Amino acid sequence: FRFKDSLAEDLRRADLVVSHAGAGSCLEALEKGKPLVVVINEKLMNNHQLELAKQLHRDGHVVCCNCSTLVETLQTMDLTALKPFPPGQPEKFALFLDKVVGFQ
Amino acid sequence: AGGHTTEILRLLSCLSESYSPRHYVFADSDKMSEAKIHSFEEKRAETFPNSQFTLDRIPRSREVRQSWTSSVVTTLYSMLYSLPLTYKLKPDLILCNGPGTCVPVCISALLLGLLGIKRTIIVYVESICRVETLSLSGKILYYFSDYFIVQWPNLKEKYPKSVFLGRIV
Repeated sequence: FRFKDSLAEDLRRADLVVSHAGAGSCLEALEKGKPLVVVINEKLMNNHQLELAKQLHRDGHVVCCNCSTLVETLQTMDLTALKPFPPGQPEKFALFLDKVVGFQ
Repeated sequence: AGGHTTEILRLLSCLSESYSPRHYVFADSDKMSEAKIHSFEEKRAETFPNSQFTLDRIPRSREVRQSWTSSVVTTLYSMLYSLPLTYKLKPDLILCNGPGTCVPVCISALLLGLLGIKRTIIVYVESICRVETLSLSGKILYYFSDYFIVQWPNLKEKYPKSVFLGRIV
């Protein structure tokens, strides 16, 4: 699986996504409007990936758990409480960069 | 590498035709970025058929959580590759988003600027993963980049010279 160029097709067909806290994985799932359960790897507790997972959790976009609580979480979670995740705006970056380099 | 590549390709997604040719520089240990870049560029060529891009690899400057002192040594080693590469490419603009690989490239560009060979604008976009703290590359390039972009308000407060545009990936 890790050698697939893109999980887009799998994501499209999924009803639920269970993922590690990697930004790409989380964002891809959220942008496709899929309910997401983020599993935080206890062995990498100081991993900066936690910051995003925690923020997404604070903002109500994902369900969070760790490896040992995953099964229980899947049995008891309420996916309807999750808030939709608005997409990022790379067009704002393009506008900014155009000004910076002088293409206006 | 990985998430960084995905993010940077998103950043590139709305850029106009003028941002060409694009030179992608990544770590030699990175097995997956090349495919992602090709996918992106092939798709882009549907709209902009005259798009040009190149791919270059340099030695990976730092492993995850590698110690400070050994990181300096490995970064200097990467510079043996990044300096001639940057000299050859003489970029007008460097866009980077945090993998260790960007540090030797930016330092090379800064050196070339100091030597009067080429002045490059350095734009650093911190990863969306970074909500509360900056990456090590970010902490370094906050002082050496021309524009330092963060994606969460918390970081804008902590690093006032940064630019906050909201979430851009």
